[in-house]
Amino acid sequence: MVSSSSDAEVIGRSLDEPEVFGLIYDRHAATLLRFLGRRIGAEVAEGLAGELFRIAFERRKTFDVSRASALPWLYGIGSNLLLKHRRTEARRLRASARVAAAGEAADRRASAAALDARLLFPRAADAIEALPDGEREALLLFGWEDLSYQAVAEALELPIGTVRSRLNRARAQLRELLDPGGKRRVRPR
Amino acid sequence: MKPLDLAKKLRREAAFDPAALDRGKAALMAAIRQDIQPRRRQTIVPQIPYLDVSAALSFLQRAFGFREISAARLLTADGAIDHAVLAFGDGVVGIGPQGHHGTISPRSSGIESQYISVYVDDVDAHYRRAVAAGARIAAGLGDYFWGDEGHRTYEALDLEGHRWRFHQWLRQTP
Repeated sequence: MVSSSSDAEVIGRSLDEPEVFGLIYDRHAATLLRFLGRRIGAEVAEGLAGELFRIAFERRKTFDVSRASALPWLYGIGSNLLLKHRRTEARRLRASARVAAAGEAADRRASAAALDARLLFPRAADAIEALPDGEREALLLFGWEDLSYQAVAEALELPIGTVRSRLNRARAQLRELLDPGGKRRVRPR
Repeated sequence: MKPLDLAKKLRREAAFDPAALDRGKAALMAAIRQDIQPRRRQTIVPQIPYLDVSAALSFLQRAFGFREISAARLLTADGAIDHAVLAFGDGVVGIGPQGHHGTISPRSSGIESQYISVYVDDVDAHYRRAVAAGARIAAGLGDYFWGDEGHRTYEALDLEGHRWRFHQWLRQTP
């Protein structure tokens, strides 16, 4: 039965029977909607998820059927679409930093850590925003979506070594914020 | 705190309308049905054999203005085109390699066993386009009438010698 087939088998069958592609939506739409929502908020994400699946359907012939799961491929299409919504994304990230800082302050009332959070989180948002697109995408797919190195590599169509080096550079930027006594070499923006 | 944990602190879930997923599914399925609809609607579909299917696919679009329904394309294991569907107006034709279902290209057989009539809005413009793309003209443009109806027609051969007649409906003015 189709319902127990791998994504690759389903996509292969959908070349002949396009409506079978609906199963790919059933399997992954919730995950991708949450992914897009974290990045650009619910409203824009819903429209973008629709675009993502239409593009995936149109490009289903190009899916590499040696990969059992279509999820990294779908993430990759989503990552590309997000590039057109950079300002929305930046706005949401700054808002998320404020929410996170307020949450931290409520958790540990008036502690030194809470004061740190009010400064640290907005700076972290700025640092993430200032990353080159490829580094930010690798960081957020790995850190927020919990994709493996291999899955990030498939999503961004990169060698795994490139993913590792991008993540290392992104981590280094954030590490400087956490280590105020250390050398301050925040990348100029 | 580790750098990655700092990034994770900024991760915030969006609040979705619970119906968002269903709306998305409905929209996707509507798009899929629309994409395959022209193929579904036809009750008779001529299937035309070619030695070089890929060249034919390109020529039929370039010379005759047909449009491939890309979702309908089938590939062989080694990536060659096994079957393609081309639409024009409300009609479609399929093309595929010679030998499938006992078919043979005129390039191999030296003779056509049928011709296909296609009705266009502006046959003169169509003729110029076909000639510019390298179609061989088997019969030039001419007007044919019966009763008070008729059509303006020309006949072309494609890359492998399949015969196509292009017509524009005419109404004789009294």
